Amino acid sequence: MSQLKERLERLFGTLVRLSTGQRILVSLAAVIFAIGVGMVVILGAGYFATCDSPVLFILGAEFCYNPIEVSLVLFDGSFGGNFEIARTLRWTTLLLFTALSFAIPYKAGLFNIGAQGQFVLGSLGAAVGVIWAAAFVPGGAVGRLVLVPTGLLVGAAVGGLYGFLPGYLKVRFEMNEVVTTLLFNFIATAVAFVLVDRYFVDESIQGTQTEAIPDAAALNPQFFANSADFSLPVFVFALGIVAAAYWLLTRTTVGYELRAMGAQPKAAIFGGVNERFTTLFSMTTAGAIAGIGGALFVLMVLGRWQTGPPPLGFDGIAVSILAGNNPLGLLPSGLLFGALQSGGQAIQFQLGIPSELVGVLRGLIILLVATPELFRMMGQRLDRRGVIDIETGGSD
Amino acid sequence: MSVAVHLDGITKRFPGGVLANDQIDLEIEQGSVHVLLGENGAGKTTLMNILYGLYEPTEGRVRIDGEAVDFDTPQDAIERGVGMIHQHFTLVDPMTVLENIALGWEPIRYGGLAIDDRAIEADIRELSERYGFGIADDIHTPVEELSVGAQQRIEVVKTLYRGADIFIFDEPTSVLTPQEAEQLFDVFEELTAQGKTIIFITHKLDEALTAADKITVLRDGRTVGTVDANATTQDELARQMVGRDVLLDVDKEPVTLGDPQLSVANLSVSNEQGIQKVRTLDLTVHRGEIFGVAGVDGNGQSELIEAITGLRDHTAGEISIDGRAIGDLSRRERMALGMSYIPGERQERALVLDFDLVQNAVLGNQRDEQFRDGRQIDWTAVREHTEEIIETYDVRPPDPQASARSLSGGNQQKFVVGREFLRDPDLVVAAHPTRGVDVGSMEFIHDQLLGMRDQGVAILLVSASLDEVTSLSDRIGVLHDGAFVDVVEPESVTKEQLGLMMAGEQRETEPAVESQ
Repeated sequence: MSQLKERLERLFGTLVRLSTGQRILVSLAAVIFAIGVGMVVILGAGYFATCDSPVLFILGAEFCYNPIEVSLVLFDGSFGGNFEIARTLRWTTLLLFTALSFAIPYKAGLFNIGAQGQFVLGSLGAAVGVIWAAAFVPGGAVGRLVLVPTGLLVGAAVGGLYGFLPGYLKVRFEMNEVVTTLLFNFIATAVAFVLVDRYFVDESIQGTQTEAIPDAAALNPQFFANSADFSLPVFVFALGIVAAAYWLLTRTTVGYELRAMGAQPKAAIFGGVNERFTTLFSMTTAGAIAGIGGALFVLMVLGRWQTGPPPLGFDGIAVSILAGNNPLGLLPSGLLFGALQSGGQAIQFQLGIPSELVGVLRGLIILLVATPELFRMMGQRLDRRGVIDIETGGSD
Repeated sequence: MSVAVHLDGITKRFPGGVLANDQIDLEIEQGSVHVLLGENGAGKTTLMNILYGLYEPTEGRVRIDGEAVDFDTPQDAIERGVGMIHQHFTLVDPMTVLENIALGWEPIRYGGLAIDDRAIEADIRELSERYGFGIADDIHTPVEELSVGAQQRIEVVKTLYRGADIFIFDEPTSVLTPQEAEQLFDVFEELTAQGKTIIFITHKLDEALTAADKITVLRDGRTVGTVDANATTQDELARQMVGRDVLLDVDKEPVTLGDPQLSVANLSVSNEQGIQKVRTLDLTVHRGEIFGVAGVDGNGQSELIEAITGLRDHTAGEISIDGRAIGDLSRRERMALGMSYIPGERQERALVLDFDLVQNAVLGNQRDEQFRDGRQIDWTAVREHTEEIIETYDVRPPDPQASARSLSGGNQQKFVVGREFLRDPDLVVAAHPTRGVDVGSMEFIHDQLLGMRDQGVAILLVSASLDEVTSLSDRIGVLHDGAFVDVVEPESVTKEQLGLMMAGEQRETEPAVESQ
């Protein structure tokens, strides 16, 4: 037996054999460690930065940023008050959709890197859809009852179609979904820009954006501060979608077939599972869910479509990996990433720390927190393909 | 003769209290073939994993050449001259024979900058010649292009190359054809002639008697006894293994043929590389009949049954069940017509290894009314079904929550057979249904097959074991190069004649004397 193989087996075996409780502990430890490392980076950056009033003096050296303060603001900015909690939950809500968009195809053995594109086109579809439909319905409560579902449905349809396409390319032409979904993100951004610029642009203001959606379609903040752009019923709706995904995967026949295909394709085919169906179904569902996320981004947060969407589709991948791609695990991991997003904004606004540095801090946390789970996934895949052989208990 | 391995009072208790080995004493003489015989779960493999440094014994001690040793890892065991050849090979498929043999033990040149290929090649040629392995021509061939038997010889050479004196073979014949098994036993002789010691784990009685100098029978983690191979019989060994009398011969009712259930006409099937593996083959299996397919592995057996069961497209010809053409039906539609299939590759195909037994029990049945509740799977019903399989087919451990991966090969097989038989089929396609199972379970599976036959189920049986095919089948099709050389009744041919037909030779005349 080769030594390399044994070493890989030892490395991956440790991770694969971890219990759920241990994995949560590892993740928590990684968060704390990552914040620690991030503080050191911020301290170092503060030494090289130039500023008018240094906040920290150690052994004669001047530092522009105080790491302790940064970490306090990071926490305070995500959970410190009504507004902060709302902002955290707003990001969490949106991340739940894009993370599900990665988790469901993963269970079927597919890597959907395309949540970003599905999210962008879903949001554009929803914006255009409600603006168009507003001409036919009255305002007020009736309008709301029609327009909000219209926006969600159009978002789901557009996103679903944009997820279906790479699925179709895979079953028809055997094109690798990692490559197609990744590239489809760029196409989506570019297509959305051209469409809005040429056909849907709001002439009255500068920039590439659509008109504002009608008031009746807007999901106004409820139970939380107005400025946070967060509506609690929408969060409850997102929890419902997560629960539905969990039900789909664990309880239904289709979910069983998806998981069998993801775990061991040959055995699934033996069991009469249709690979074309699982591929198309999981990719379309994933696209539709990301598209609903995009629709909510327009209806709840922006109130119109505009260029430069945040990379929620990519962050969703990290959220899903951290959750072990388990829908129920998305709640804590989505909350963590939502808080990071929210706290990062606070650091930027309150302390004047450049957004790039905040990005480094977030990136560090994502990297360190997601890496153990990522390696665990790799280990399982290698084990399934028979490259390495991990003992998972059992005798004789 | 000196004693190469002493096992003194070895006890192994796993976390959770499972007692796999209980006070085992064993002496293995140098230069001999020593068989460890026992059913699945008797503790054979655990015992050898202790010798190989994979497990730490709870009690007892291991001595090599009289000297106490304490292996923490297989690496320690290899350095002390103990090598193990596993049931599943540890070869890297795309790498050449030379690369596989040298992997991890490469002699280096230029202070580690390059690998000394020439030195390795010389060593391999020398070993191949000394032991008569005949692999010299394949040194630069990727191992995936070699037959299973040849791959196993590569494993042996690899172990020799690492300087092993004591070889542990864990169920080596379960992946081999009878001919390849014969060749392996020749390798045993070469090795022992050069003073090497062989420990051979098996549950097959005839192999034990053929290959062994001494046989130790294990049952429930204890030694039943050690005997000289030429001073015992199959019946005696079977009784020791199972703990009761076992009927090794199959008792068969006369056949009552029904209507044709499965008909195959002019069937041609190609493999992934586009090579035609089944050539315009005709085949009919009637209700109440067991049709056996005999042949050396790789003559189109797997392509034939995969085309019938719906896992592979055929290039020409027709397949019908009960008069209905099914050639265009999907796998699921064919299953719905009452087809059960026990595939030869149980670990890749028949089980999702990471799923527990409950989730595996519904594989293939997931759309049956019986296990459905609208769009949902009725997990309560599935769980009851799982318990039924486990109980009826004596799957151990009897834990529905155990992952399929954690079961031994024989218990995995029993579970798959149970699941497929309990689907109440009209047609059973069984490839190697008793591969890897113990004697007691083999008897049970054979009884089940015959029972279904007597109830009018049509059965297509493919097996690498000639004994199994001849004792169960009502008719035998001898497959060679994708076509039947002949279809015969088992009573009308001898094993030698079957062997010749398997090699492609037509029977020129009817045998003058009907054997038996």
